[in-house]
Amino acid sequence: MGRIPRDYLVNRLVTLVLTILIAATIIWIIPRLSPVDPAEIALGRMASGAGAVANSEEILAQLRANMGIDQPLIVQYFKYLTGALVFDFGLSTAAFPTPVSTLILNALPWTLGLMIFSLIITFFIGNLLGALMVWDRSPKLVRVAIPAAMVFTSIPPILSGLLLMWIFAAKLQWFPLTGAYSIFVEPGWTWDFVSSVLYHGFLPALSIVIVTFGFWTLGMRGLMITVQGEDYVKLAEAKGLRPRYILYRYMIRNAILPQITAFALKIGLLIAGQVLVERIFAYNGMGKLLYDAILNQDFPVIQGVSYVIILMTALSVFLVDLLYPFIDPRIRHEAA
Amino acid sequence: MSDKPVLTLRDLSIEFPTPKGVVQAVKNLDLTIQKGRRVGFIGESGSGKTTTALAVMQMLAEPGRVASGSIDLVGTDVLALTEEEMRKTRLSRIAYIPQGAMNSLNPVMRIEPQLWDGIIAHEGHMERAELKRRSDAALTSVGLPAHTGELFPHELSGGMKQRVCIALGIILNPDLIIADEPTSALDVVTQRQVMQTLNDIQAQIGSGLILIGHDMGLMAQSVDELAVLKDGELVEHGTVKQIIEAPKHPYTQDLISSVPLVGGDSFLNPERNAEAPKRDSSEPLLRFEKVRKDYGAVTALHPMSFALQGDTPQIISIVGQSGSGKSTMGSIMLGFNPPSQGRVLFEGQDVAAMNAAQSLEFRKNVQAVFQDPYACFNPFYRVNHALKFPFKQFGLAQSEAHTQQAMEEACDAVGLDPDLVLSRYPHQLSGGQRQRLIVARALMLSPKLLIADEPVSMVDASLRATILSNIYDLKDKYGISILYITHDLATAYHVSDYVMVLYKGHVVEAGPPKEVIGQPQHPYTQLLIDSIPWPDLDRAWGGGRSDWDPETLEAEAERASAVYRGDVVGFELARV
Repeated sequence: MGRIPRDYLVNRLVTLVLTILIAATIIWIIPRLSPVDPAEIALGRMASGAGAVANSEEILAQLRANMGIDQPLIVQYFKYLTGALVFDFGLSTAAFPTPVSTLILNALPWTLGLMIFSLIITFFIGNLLGALMVWDRSPKLVRVAIPAAMVFTSIPPILSGLLLMWIFAAKLQWFPLTGAYSIFVEPGWTWDFVSSVLYHGFLPALSIVIVTFGFWTLGMRGLMITVQGEDYVKLAEAKGLRPRYILYRYMIRNAILPQITAFALKIGLLIAGQVLVERIFAYNGMGKLLYDAILNQDFPVIQGVSYVIILMTALSVFLVDLLYPFIDPRIRHEAA
Repeated sequence: MSDKPVLTLRDLSIEFPTPKGVVQAVKNLDLTIQKGRRVGFIGESGSGKTTTALAVMQMLAEPGRVASGSIDLVGTDVLALTEEEMRKTRLSRIAYIPQGAMNSLNPVMRIEPQLWDGIIAHEGHMERAELKRRSDAALTSVGLPAHTGELFPHELSGGMKQRVCIALGIILNPDLIIADEPTSALDVVTQRQVMQTLNDIQAQIGSGLILIGHDMGLMAQSVDELAVLKDGELVEHGTVKQIIEAPKHPYTQDLISSVPLVGGDSFLNPERNAEAPKRDSSEPLLRFEKVRKDYGAVTALHPMSFALQGDTPQIISIVGQSGSGKSTMGSIMLGFNPPSQGRVLFEGQDVAAMNAAQSLEFRKNVQAVFQDPYACFNPFYRVNHALKFPFKQFGLAQSEAHTQQAMEEACDAVGLDPDLVLSRYPHQLSGGQRQRLIVARALMLSPKLLIADEPVSMVDASLRATILSNIYDLKDKYGISILYITHDLATAYHVSDYVMVLYKGHVVEAGPPKEVIGQPQHPYTQLLIDSIPWPDLDRAWGGGRSDWDPETLEAEAERASAVYRGDVVGFELARV
């Protein structure tokens, strides 16, 4: 395989940095448009705990100083930017004084695991089904069953999650109701723990898969119909190639290209989409962290989570951009 | 192989059952192809020629089916084969060379593996070195360097891709090669080279060949026998000599006479309207001032200056191969593509520096007809929408009745029955009807200039002459000057007042058509004219020279300086 041209690489890198910078700025601006003062919320929380708070003005000032919101906006902005570079988003206001980065680091592996697991499964199943819907040698049953299965796509994930919980966890008791792993196992790289995680992750992953595979199936179906009419597919048949080989090497191989771009874009969206799924399964991931942070007006955490989502989307798009010349030779040609 | 016929079609009928009834695509076809013979299937689109070929391949599109008859391939009953047996028959015994050379190769695979997978599908896995040896041999045999195999399809030119398809076709030494309009996407010079390659290789492996096409000239120069098809029926079959010299069926006669020749009778209506409307303006209608166009490091058009007075309407032809810069010129004239240097002036106004009102006026005055008439219509609207919309948009419509009247007049002018076509959808019309509607649409705006970029290259041969004479008649009747962009020298010969031959962005020869095309002097113009296949057996391809070698001629053409022939009043081309 050829090398990636330097100009192309530089171009993509600049795009990556700019995307992150602009996004980070927007994330910072939006909470500051809100009239809510996080220090007052923290004070309110203290007050509701202690019944009454004396010298509240002093405490407010102290809280503001601790949160860094007593400084001029421009100073706050640059502190925030330099902090974001090293993943330092300050301290959570709701879980004060835990650093935001600690919260995120604890939640991220769970979400990444669940998300990547279910995204890969969805991508694989969805695209394969989409391809089979178009392929003229698919069994009749497949062609009838797939459109029927796509009914699930119109169900909101929260409902499918509750439905699955009710059937498989509450009624049949095949799977645990909530949590990311059993409370009886010690976290660590042991078989007990890993199997417990997989066992607990199954239902949340399934609830994501069944509501999202339709996106890939429909997209792939459209792409396959276009590819099916291409001359190179007709010539492949005239060459007497085996039908399965034509399906994989000539049809899916070409139809999948736009889906790969969509895959990268979906990574960021998925964390957001996963918020409610994590919430109902009490799964301690990024989605739940974001959900709680929004409820508690925990600006630093909202900023941190949003930043990580954007970083992951931008990075995956960047990686796909680098990868693309290898999966579609025509792109390399244009860049050279 | 024995001396049995390669292919015997007996009483073959093919039908397409549709909800509206069964369409008979091929009716009772009887035909035998002997070993080593080249047979041309000629007819218009819809005549059943490709359908017959696909039936032999057992690749009829749904819901097509063979209704009756038999297909015998060197003793094998093709219709009795199982699906798996048929798969093994393809490529190894019948090879298919497709029409769309541009798009026939898998864009994400290198050339070599696309030759290898064909071998492996029929002979099983084998050593890579052996595969490589065979693909190299196949590529070399069609005149491509062996390293072509390591490239991707997009890195090859159209002619090279078509050669790869030929290499693929002969890689397993088939009994029969079916070439479905293998050169329709190529320009004349490449067409001749590719046909030469195909014929040589076919003679070498001794297979039968079916050449599908609609160009009588190409057939005359390429095949031994001709089968003329019309509406699914074989109307005439015989040797090329019999058919060209003494066509019996009127349809065959039409096919032969519809090929425009250089010299000879014109297909145009001789009754000319002498009183062409005159334009009154001191500024030339269109002027190019040292216009140059670069795409990155490539210069598509070298600085060119000309002035078209347009006081009396004229037709200026711009001819050349693909990549000569002729379509770039067209898009610059239309203001779609700003020149890299120089200015384009329309009635003294710089096209690039017009204000909104001038720009609107310019759009109305300069109309275009493009190659693909189907792509010019929005498939969701009836065709009258495409005619009405610009008419109203430019404020020409006084009332609904006036619009209707204008549409009907425009249809009449291009020989269409307005009641029949206007309320249809684009897909319900034929290619010829669509293209005439596009001309009618342009006409309704009473433009001063019409840019026609390959207006008839996608239309059946029998209709080309009609559409061109439609366009030609408009020139005098409505006083429209026309820039006719084409690769077809024969039609340019008949319709134009002045011809410019473009080669790699330079004008190499220019002047009145009788001089430039009738007696070409520049080696490139000679090359173009020699590459045209004539439906005349005495007039051999390549000017009859045995040493005809396009590459030497092209090298010669690059060295030669431009030739300026006689002048024509109303058009001035600056000499470089």
